[in-house]
Amino acid sequence: MLDVQIRQAATTLLDSAIRIAPSPTREWGHALRGELNYVEGSWAGTMWALGGASVMVKQAIVSLVVPSRAGHDMIPDGGLFARNPHVRRAALALGGACVLAALLFFGAPPFRQAFQVAMQPWLVMYRAATGNLQPGIAALARRAEKQHDAQGLAFCAVRARDAGEGARLAEEAVHLDATLTWVYAIIALAHPGFAHAGTWMGKLERWDPQNGLISLIQAETIVRTRFPHGVWAPPNPAADQAWSEAMAQAFAAPKFDDYFDKFTALNRQVVPRYRFYDPYEVESRWDAGLPDPVTAGCERFAILWIRAGQGLEAQGDLRGAREKYWAVARFGQLIDSQAHSQFERRNGAYLQSLAYRPLEALAKRQGDSAQATLFGYLAEKFNPLKDAPTGESAFGHFTSKRNAAVVEISGLMILVFSGLVLVAAFILIAGSRRGAEAGAQRDKPVATFVALTGALGMLFSAVTLYLTYRPYWYIFQSSVVNGERAQSLDLYELLNSAQMPPGVSPHGFMTLMEALVYSGSPGFLFYVWGGVTLLGVIGLILILLRHFLGRPHAHAP
Amino acid sequence: MKKPRISPETLLVLERFFADPTAWRYGYDLSRETGLKSGTLYPILMRLEKYLLLEAQWVATEEGVPPRHTYRLTPTGLEMAKTVRAEARPRSLVREPAFGNG
Repeated sequence: MLDVQIRQAATTLLDSAIRIAPSPTREWGHALRGELNYVEGSWAGTMWALGGASVMVKQAIVSLVVPSRAGHDMIPDGGLFARNPHVRRAALALGGACVLAALLFFGAPPFRQAFQVAMQPWLVMYRAATGNLQPGIAALARRAEKQHDAQGLAFCAVRARDAGEGARLAEEAVHLDATLTWVYAIIALAHPGFAHAGTWMGKLERWDPQNGLISLIQAETIVRTRFPHGVWAPPNPAADQAWSEAMAQAFAAPKFDDYFDKFTALNRQVVPRYRFYDPYEVESRWDAGLPDPVTAGCERFAILWIRAGQGLEAQGDLRGAREKYWAVARFGQLIDSQAHSQFERRNGAYLQSLAYRPLEALAKRQGDSAQATLFGYLAEKFNPLKDAPTGESAFGHFTSKRNAAVVEISGLMILVFSGLVLVAAFILIAGSRRGAEAGAQRDKPVATFVALTGALGMLFSAVTLYLTYRPYWYIFQSSVVNGERAQSLDLYELLNSAQMPPGVSPHGFMTLMEALVYSGSPGFLFYVWGGVTLLGVIGLILILLRHFLGRPHAHAP
Repeated sequence: MKKPRISPETLLVLERFFADPTAWRYGYDLSRETGLKSGTLYPILMRLEKYLLLEAQWVATEEGVPPRHTYRLTPTGLEMAKTVRAEARPRSLVREPAFGNG
């Protein structure tokens, strides 16, 4: 009984394969089918049918690409979709359903965000060309101004790339709501050397008098005056003195707040209110912590302070030396205690490690072994080298980078396949107007094939894009809604990588050899996927060329 | 006339036809004799027929059972098989000492 069923299945398989084979090959299919009756054993019969079916399918595919010598095997009933209009209609219905399903994805906010991320490299180029760098922020600012929404204005102010525009929005926001004064600090940090920021320092000191951040901003402003055009100005003892005083004030401050909590709270209120889901604007650079120049300034001053302490120690002023060391350690603790990113945490740890070593030596010198052991332990614990990035993160959070490449390529593929669907739809519509002409009849199978391939590719790309980006959407949501920063670095890495066109590393275009060396890297993925896609597109173009160039010409009677 | 590419498998098929050049042969029998699967054998038969080295015909069998396709070398095919066999033999003789027992 089972044998009969297996043989029936084998026969059905071969019959189906014969149906899709081009007409010149079908005779051979029937030959294979005829022999099947004489193959002994159900297993051998199945293998025979499978082999025969593979021959028929191969011929069907080849017939689509390579023109036959006769040039008419598609007419009247050759080809995959031409033989049976019902099959063609079913294929078109399936293609239509795929396109509809792919378009429905755009209704989902995660997908829209994913598509925007995929298009980011091209959007950046387009915006740079048109000079409209932040259209989303500009539109949101207009809405907020119209509604006199202080929070909306502050949200835009801290993100505006143009310092003047940011200052204008910030002034307006603070005018409406004085509790938003902190946005001045964010803008001053984001635009070091911005002259207008000097007028805000007094307001910031009055609003948050004990915060060491204000003194750090003042110190950074002084540094900027030393090389206003990127060139280090001649020595200026007065400026150096002012910088040292500002830094000393920061190191002596009883608290340190980089206003990150206020920043995330503002995100939580504004993003849902305006449904503003541009991840590149919401997850702006401030998320990475204090800007590098400010961090470098802290470290430079800490080293100076430690050296000053060692000088005092050499002069026998152990108490003075201890105060200097402690000032550095305490400031490191302050930064560490409120750190929101690994960069800030590392900065705080580094300052502490700088201070605990001399404190250990000083305790030993004073014969306090318990204190010496404690400081030695703390110096080791806060050794920044211990927190050095691992191999994986040094490569740049590989998974997020790879996903960025997948997101970018999937987004591009949606566009490519959409184009194919549109071309095929155009051919089909034009063909239907031409009615029963031979040329129109001939166009239909190829156009159907292209439409179905494009639609399937579109849906596949949409599903890939959605599934790949979905975890990052949740990270974005939890970051915005709950202020949860646990995985924000992954999102940051993905967004950062996706700003480059696929296959391009931040250090330039990755060659094929480099991509092969780092097989599995985004570059490798790009070349593999790019190669497969290119072959697919070339195949489709060949089909179209074969079809339109190889069409039979009318012969004279 | 243009010659088809003669692969070892094609040579195997030609050898079987050459054993009895006038006989009509069935595909399944050829498959069993050469050990080639249908997916390999039929493209070879199709190619040989395309180059007119092989002729095919349908043979009616018992009622209710589909007819069978049978194949035989054409005179051109026979000449071709002779040539190919002659060319292939010296090569195999040269190879033999390297892989043989002696």
